[in-house]
Amino acid sequence: MHPRIPHLPFWLLFLAGFFFGMAPGYAGVDYLKNVKPLLQERCYSCHGGLKQKGGLRLDTAVLLRKGGESGDALSKDKAGKVRLLERVSSTDPEEHMPPKHEGERFTAAQIQILREWIEAGASAPVEEKAESDPREHWAFRARVRPAIPAAVLGGWGRNAVDAFVGQGYVAGGVGPVGEAPPEVLLRRLYLDLVGVPPTLKEMTAVEGIPVAEWYEATVESLLADPRHGQRWGRHWMDIWRYSDWWGLGAQLRNSQKHIWHWRDWIIESINADTPYDEMVRLMLAADEIAPSDPQKLRATGFLARNWFLFNRNSWLEETVEHVGKGFLGLTFNCAKCHDHKYDPISQTDFYKMRAFFEPYHVRMDVVPGEGNLERDGIPRAYDGAPEVATFRFVRGEESNADKSVRILPGVPAILSFGTLAIHPVSLPVLASQPERQPWVLDAHLAGAKKAMEAAGVLLEKQSEKLAAAEKKASEAKALPVNAVIPEASSAGASKAPAVSPEKVLPEARAEWKVAELAAALARAELGSIEARAVAMRARWDGLPNEPELKGLAIRAEREAAVARTRHAAADVALLQIRAAPEKKAAIATQAKTAEDALAKALAANAAPVQPADVYTSLYGAKWTPTRFLSSAKDDPDVPFPSLSTGRRKALAEWITDPRHPLTARVAANHLWARHMGIPLAVNTFEFGRKGAAPTQPELLDWLASELVESGWSMKHLHRLIVNSAAYRMSSSLAGAEAAVARDPDNARLWRRTPLRLEAEAVRDSILSLAGELDLSHGGASIPAAAQAESKRRSLYFYHSNNERNLFLTTFDEAAVKECYRRDESIVPQQALALTNSRLVHDAALRIAGLLFKTGATGEEAFIRSAYSYVLGIKASGAEIVACSRAMEAWRRAALPAEKDAHAMARVNLVWALLNHNDFVTLR
Amino acid sequence: MNFSRPALPSKPALSRRAFLSDLGMGFTGLALGAMLERESRASSALWTPPTGLPHFPPKARSVIWLFMNGGVSHMESFDPKPMLSKYGGKSISETPFADVQDPKKLALERLVVPDGNGNQRNKIFPLQVGFQKHGQSGIEVSDWFPNIARNVDKLAVVRSMYTTDSNHGAQTQFHSGRHMVDGSFPTLGAWVHYGLGSLNDNLPQFISIGTREYWNNKDGHYLGPAHDAVPLRIDPSNPLDFGKPERPFSPAAQGIGLDLVRELNTLRGVEYPADPMMSARIASYELAFRMQRSMPEALDFSKESAETKALYGIDQPHCRDFGSQMLAARRLVERGVRFIQIQHGGGGAGAWDAHGGLKANHSKLALQVDQPIGALLADLERRGMLEETLVVFATEFGRTPGTQGADGRDHHIFGFSVWMAGGGIKGGVVHGATDELGFHAVENRHYVTDVHATILQQLGLDSRKLEIPGRKRLEIDHGKPIPEIIA
Repeated sequence: MHPRIPHLPFWLLFLAGFFFGMAPGYAGVDYLKNVKPLLQERCYSCHGGLKQKGGLRLDTAVLLRKGGESGDALSKDKAGKVRLLERVSSTDPEEHMPPKHEGERFTAAQIQILREWIEAGASAPVEEKAESDPREHWAFRARVRPAIPAAVLGGWGRNAVDAFVGQGYVAGGVGPVGEAPPEVLLRRLYLDLVGVPPTLKEMTAVEGIPVAEWYEATVESLLADPRHGQRWGRHWMDIWRYSDWWGLGAQLRNSQKHIWHWRDWIIESINADTPYDEMVRLMLAADEIAPSDPQKLRATGFLARNWFLFNRNSWLEETVEHVGKGFLGLTFNCAKCHDHKYDPISQTDFYKMRAFFEPYHVRMDVVPGEGNLERDGIPRAYDGAPEVATFRFVRGEESNADKSVRILPGVPAILSFGTLAIHPVSLPVLASQPERQPWVLDAHLAGAKKAMEAAGVLLEKQSEKLAAAEKKASEAKALPVNAVIPEASSAGASKAPAVSPEKVLPEARAEWKVAELAAALARAELGSIEARAVAMRARWDGLPNEPELKGLAIRAEREAAVARTRHAAADVALLQIRAAPEKKAAIATQAKTAEDALAKALAANAAPVQPADVYTSLYGAKWTPTRFLSSAKDDPDVPFPSLSTGRRKALAEWITDPRHPLTARVAANHLWARHMGIPLAVNTFEFGRKGAAPTQPELLDWLASELVESGWSMKHLHRLIVNSAAYRMSSSLAGAEAAVARDPDNARLWRRTPLRLEAEAVRDSILSLAGELDLSHGGASIPAAAQAESKRRSLYFYHSNNERNLFLTTFDEAAVKECYRRDESIVPQQALALTNSRLVHDAALRIAGLLFKTGATGEEAFIRSAYSYVLGIKASGAEIVACSRAMEAWRRAALPAEKDAHAMARVNLVWALLNHNDFVTLR
Repeated sequence: MNFSRPALPSKPALSRRAFLSDLGMGFTGLALGAMLERESRASSALWTPPTGLPHFPPKARSVIWLFMNGGVSHMESFDPKPMLSKYGGKSISETPFADVQDPKKLALERLVVPDGNGNQRNKIFPLQVGFQKHGQSGIEVSDWFPNIARNVDKLAVVRSMYTTDSNHGAQTQFHSGRHMVDGSFPTLGAWVHYGLGSLNDNLPQFISIGTREYWNNKDGHYLGPAHDAVPLRIDPSNPLDFGKPERPFSPAAQGIGLDLVRELNTLRGVEYPADPMMSARIASYELAFRMQRSMPEALDFSKESAETKALYGIDQPHCRDFGSQMLAARRLVERGVRFIQIQHGGGGAGAWDAHGGLKANHSKLALQVDQPIGALLADLERRGMLEETLVVFATEFGRTPGTQGADGRDHHIFGFSVWMAGGGIKGGVVHGATDELGFHAVENRHYVTDVHATILQQLGLDSRKLEIPGRKRLEIDHGKPIPEIIA
């Protein structure tokens, strides 16, 4: 691209930069800067530490020179050609490197770089290190519990965490800043452990008491607080990809209805300190581990969430990708089309991983008290398709399956220890015949009874309406016609033309008829459900009168069918009355169809019951129908087998084996990251060779060991982290110029890095300070339409690709697709949300009232108490002066209509503090 | 340069980057930027964030991206195919062009969502509209788009587009260049936002207007939410989400409050000197306040002449909405907004999705967009803005040469049309071609990212220089500029 003649001085400026920028590039080709990165990107995956195809390695200049089986790569042959250059520039598809489908061709410019370097003598630093053996990669090596280092800083440090952190100080030439002030510590603990700031009462409880006397006790009480599960549940919902269902309009396409049962399980499990390994096992295989325990089956929402109506491949690919990233920090997804370029994961390994999941489908189980699965139910995984084979897709193309080899479940060789034991699991009858769960028949009965009551109420209403219409009609008959009209218009409420009673009455009668038949239908449905429940129990118990009961059930179901068609016919009759003249013909056809259906149902009901006749069993679960076959209708039913493959159980056991080098490290890293803001290993889902090594590897291993050895207790890890001196440090930068210069990114943890509060914490804090936050637990997600009025904690808001809350989205709530770390953007839309939203304005009003009521009546007292309540910091003199000045200005600017200028000024001050940087910041 | 840009605020043309770096921040001015940078240092010593300056001298400063949701029939808009009328009612196999259905030629399709529409429609559907030659170039445009036709000498029509997703996920694909099943990737607008600094610090640099489908409602993806388009309503009284106080709050009281917030933040700065988050927060409040103040003015059409408003069709019910959006787009470009993404017919799967009643559907929708788009092109030109404003007219795919049902056309990925105008694009040219039936793009075939590459090139950006570590982009993501349509 040649620079163009500029139009504007602006471009002149730009051009100067352009030429200036070009200049250094011509200083000659440098091995480390120009050559090595190129080879690393294009060649190392096959000719480096991971693989040595053709015996060739290119990861150091020495190895380059040494060459492979076909000889020296760098020196000229007799024809004056250099092999390396020949191969990368060849146009012969059999010759050129990288081979077809294995990577992009070298560009002419890139070949030129290699050529220049070789021609200039191929010089490289002497001390160049070759890539290490992948088995030596830190994350693939077995975890060994590191010894706790001796304290290196006299007097500093509270627990072993600090001993490890302190080691880094020595190496990095930095030292820890002091402890944060008590009020900052208190706010930090509350927001971090329970997701809201302390209430006034909670603040008063520790006021004036030395930190040493309340800190650890507060930690204990917050870890035991039910709010803790809501706070940390949301963290894990990010990592495990919680999403409510979404689709096009009413069509379910992704995730599952009622998936919130899984969310509730997460929160309950965290509050109960359910071991992490147990949680992972249940999420992957509760249906094989606890097949008839609905409480535990909720955990498999983790798998139900990946459900996708249309495409099995993208469903399972997502499953493999996120099981890998979430639990293991491995990017299996990079091995879908070809062998992994950085890690020893072959393409076949990707499909072996997929094979664990190949049999699974999703179904919805009936919950106590509700037989209608549209209203409630537990979505969960089960092995519905145990026979389906897994094949490798050549180059990842789903149209190109290699059917010559069935891929069996397995794990990458580098991570295999012991033997992977896959044993089929024989399921209890309650799992394969869920209708036998003790509550299922009752749930259907309860539903039918509820429906009958509702129909009765409706009928009563229609009866009253009919009586009123009849009364009016008889009165109207007594009056001349024109008398009716003025009466209707004088009522004033309605401008609609008065309808003559001749028209009202038949409609009211038809409405009543529909209601009456609806009530009859509800009665018949209840009868049918009762009879079928009795017959089903008789069948299970092998009662001698079972055939008789079966006959009654068949009859009752037929009666219900008659009632249903009768009701449908009445419905059409009503439509006919209401219809505009031009629609009447079409409705007449409908009426005919309805009559025919009724006649058919009556005939069926009149026929004697034959031995071959059956009744429809009441269901205890329903398979969630997929549409993989593009037939424009649901795929054929997938049954509930009595045998599960045991594949996922085996996988879960492998993942949670204490010997697994990755699982505990990945979990400990997440826990650390969500407390401290910076992970120890920065790529939380990528522990492979492409990810960054941990900044404090021993600390990570020690935390991982503590996690495993405490019985995978997450609360144990929370305790270790928040009780450390490293956690308790100030985040202040005052006087820390030297440390900033040495370690600007705080990699050595010489201070706390301040954090932007997560979206949920921002909204929950606003409502909590206003005394309005509804802390109740569980239940269906709050739909978008109800969110503006809802005071529930934010994690209960509907959260899917279709529906997300605007305020929360503005503050970077979890991306639905994946969220291993939260974004921490600072954008103007956040400022608009905080300055303008009803949420903030309403909260400011309430908070000001609350503070005033609790005695902060003087201006300075009010400012001080607002500062400490809203921001968790003590106001300085200068801050009080500034606030005071603004309050005075507000009072002067108050409009005459605003009757209490003093109160307004207080509200505005609170509004300003809610907009303070430190409100959305965890110091 | 023959049209004058608005006077920028008291500060001279200062890039947002420079503005924010004054406050001690990295490129995006965000903690996110800092985070990416931290991570990048760990993984690649070579990477540096974009500087906000173009990589080479640009031809275009702004982009207006018009996207017709649902799939516009290429045969009934910009790619006439008389053979369809000749063979109407016959099945494709009965025509001399039976080989278009050779399975090998159909292999590029990647279906995610078999929605029962099917993809092969065999019975040829005759053209539903007439065509005339227009302008000096004599390019044929259908009678449904007379106003665009009037401007045809400004257009470069590309008749040889193809994509791979036969479902409306192709909308996402047209914006990001990736098939939906590959995951979520930044859209073109997000890359531009990431790569270039602002032309006006009072307005967002990347704006989205119109309803977007749920699978296509974000832009930043791995670049982060800071690079999502800011959704805008064409309503001067309420243009932005949270754009004005939702409870009574006088401007005077708000002003006192914002001054106080700034002062208190600065006072805290004693404790946290050079804290990038604090500086970013202060800057974000200033930008928010300026946006809140400037946006209503940008959308206030009262100073526009009656002639201009009539030109855009704002006085006519059928094109009032889209006309307002076009006029707003011109005003926003005038004020230095970089990338304006406008969706027409969003909602459901997209209004242009004429599986049945194509004639009624397309003639009605064309009536909504044709006059406003024609007005936009003419208005940009007469104000001397077209030279540096690139207008794109695109859709996710074309429609089948065969009939669906009685009178519709199905989704068609193998060949369809888009056009570009302004911003250094050649006018009055047709590039590429489909076969006689409009089935396959056969000449100078272009995947959707070639459109991206062309736009980036005109903006002076090299997409390879925008990559961030840990996010491998493929050759197909970058695409190739289309030199034949570049002036």
